[in-house]
Amino acid sequence: MSGTQTSPPGDTAARVPSSASGRRPSGMGRRLRNGAVTVLWALAGIGIAILMWELVKWLGSVISLPINTSDATMPHVWSMVAVMGEPEVRGSETTVLQAVMLATLRSLILAAGGFIIGAGVGLLLAVIMQRFLFMERGLLPFVIASQTVPLIALAPLIVGIGNRISIGPIEWNTTYSVMFIAAYLAFFPVSVGALRGLQAPSPTAIELMRSYGASPGQTTRKLRFPASVPYLVPALKVSAAAAVVGTVVAEISTGVRGGIGRLLIEYARQITSQPSKVYVAVLGALVMGLIVAALVAALDMYLTRNLPKETNA
Amino acid sequence: MSGAAHHAVQAQGVWKIFNEGQAGEVTALQDVTLSVEDGEFVSLIGPSGCGKSTLLRVIADLTSATRGQMTVAGVTPHEARQKQLYGMAFQQAALFEWRTVRRNVELPLELMGWAKDRRRTRAMELLEMVQLADFADHRPWQLSGGMQQRVAIARSLAVDPPLLLMDEPFGALDEMTRERMQNELLRIRRETGKSIIFVTHSIPEAVYLSDRVVVMSPRPGRITEIVPIPLGDSRDEATRESEDFFHGVTAVREALRGHVGGAEARARVGEV
Repeated sequence: MSGTQTSPPGDTAARVPSSASGRRPSGMGRRLRNGAVTVLWALAGIGIAILMWELVKWLGSVISLPINTSDATMPHVWSMVAVMGEPEVRGSETTVLQAVMLATLRSLILAAGGFIIGAGVGLLLAVIMQRFLFMERGLLPFVIASQTVPLIALAPLIVGIGNRISIGPIEWNTTYSVMFIAAYLAFFPVSVGALRGLQAPSPTAIELMRSYGASPGQTTRKLRFPASVPYLVPALKVSAAAAVVGTVVAEISTGVRGGIGRLLIEYARQITSQPSKVYVAVLGALVMGLIVAALVAALDMYLTRNLPKETNA
Repeated sequence: MSGAAHHAVQAQGVWKIFNEGQAGEVTALQDVTLSVEDGEFVSLIGPSGCGKSTLLRVIADLTSATRGQMTVAGVTPHEARQKQLYGMAFQQAALFEWRTVRRNVELPLELMGWAKDRRRTRAMELLEMVQLADFADHRPWQLSGGMQQRVAIARSLAVDPPLLLMDEPFGALDEMTRERMQNELLRIRRETGKSIIFVTHSIPEAVYLSDRVVVMSPRPGRITEIVPIPLGDSRDEATRESEDFFHGVTAVREALRGHVGGAEARARVGEV
């Protein structure tokens, strides 16, 4: 029974036969299996979404609905698929699908960069705030206030300031501004979540470390950081989503070309001539979100591999 | 250990006053003088607020004394803590759930900078001693409360400190497990010859385990009596039902009540 993930109450574990002791609890295999089930459900979900879309369109043609279900606003799923293969603009070599995929990849890289920088900064801030109480008092209000500034107001400011920065041979690039904005949105959940997590260890555990004469650094590495994982994982999920949204919004509000945000705007302008096109771009943004969610889920599996399932957030 | 005196702990006129000179001043320890010899098992007992845990925390340098002299293993409590001259066990096992049982025992060795192989060998040796070697690769949450506490004891012994400080380590266990753990602790003590200071609420536990029981009383926290328990070194289940054991329990109980007959009951201990 030693392989079960459930935390044994009281003496039940005392009956664990010692012959089974060599067996490590195989949490990873079980989680992979659970992962496969999750993927199947996701695919079923996509199928249902397509069915619903077409059902609403069909209903609209039979009875009067409060929404416009004509092909000009809600194109058929198959016409969206068809438009993927068409050239992006008349006579161009690249198809719509290729253009969307490339733009998605570019945005994904920016979002990932923003997420990594944001999560890193958030973690660093959390460690500083945990270590020094006056820092928590002084910094936390600013951390919270930082998120109340509207992004639309911030974006031109960052581009404006950024364009005057050049560190040695590195010139500021507007894509850096996008990454900066993504990081700006991504750092917040991590800093708040990690701070909670770093403060999570019981007073007994902290006294135990003190009794060993452990330095604050050792206590952070060996106790506080591992103890923060159950708090950190959901924070990382929120943060990753914020980085994706931040990237798309920043691309739009800074006017940076090449990403999925800009493509969405461009294709939306062509909705009267090619209504299906913008939906392909929306799909691209959706796929980007899914990829990021999958990456964070993998990170979650890795970070919580040693923890009892019950504490997984 | 230091040859200064063969004492695991020496406290001379130790006071601990919280919020001294302010509103809400509390005298947690008043003029505590106590010496614990090498290899001795001493229990601290008393009602809540008598300062027994505070005294243990002063010895462990988890808090500092307001006044008075204190040496632990011949050095200052601070030095003793930095050098891991004592091991500590709490009421909560406080095992790290992200580590295996073995790596929990290795924790203090890691902090001392021991090499991996040496750490591993030592941890297995200790798990052998607490009879949990088969569970080395399990996670703490797969173990029962008693087993977790045994891991915590193994961990407190990791660097082979001369002194063990235990703060109600069996307080959260059921009675049967508790008695088993007491036997286990006595066996470990016989095998290792550690000095042990043990905080408890339980009179039978204190009597069964100790060479001397330090009886404390609250407001202000102070030592009222020190009751010797001459039950010898080979204690077992039969000891719990012996006449001497009952006399010891009575003596401690009466000392706790501040009973005048306390001295009389003490005189009977060891007579039979």
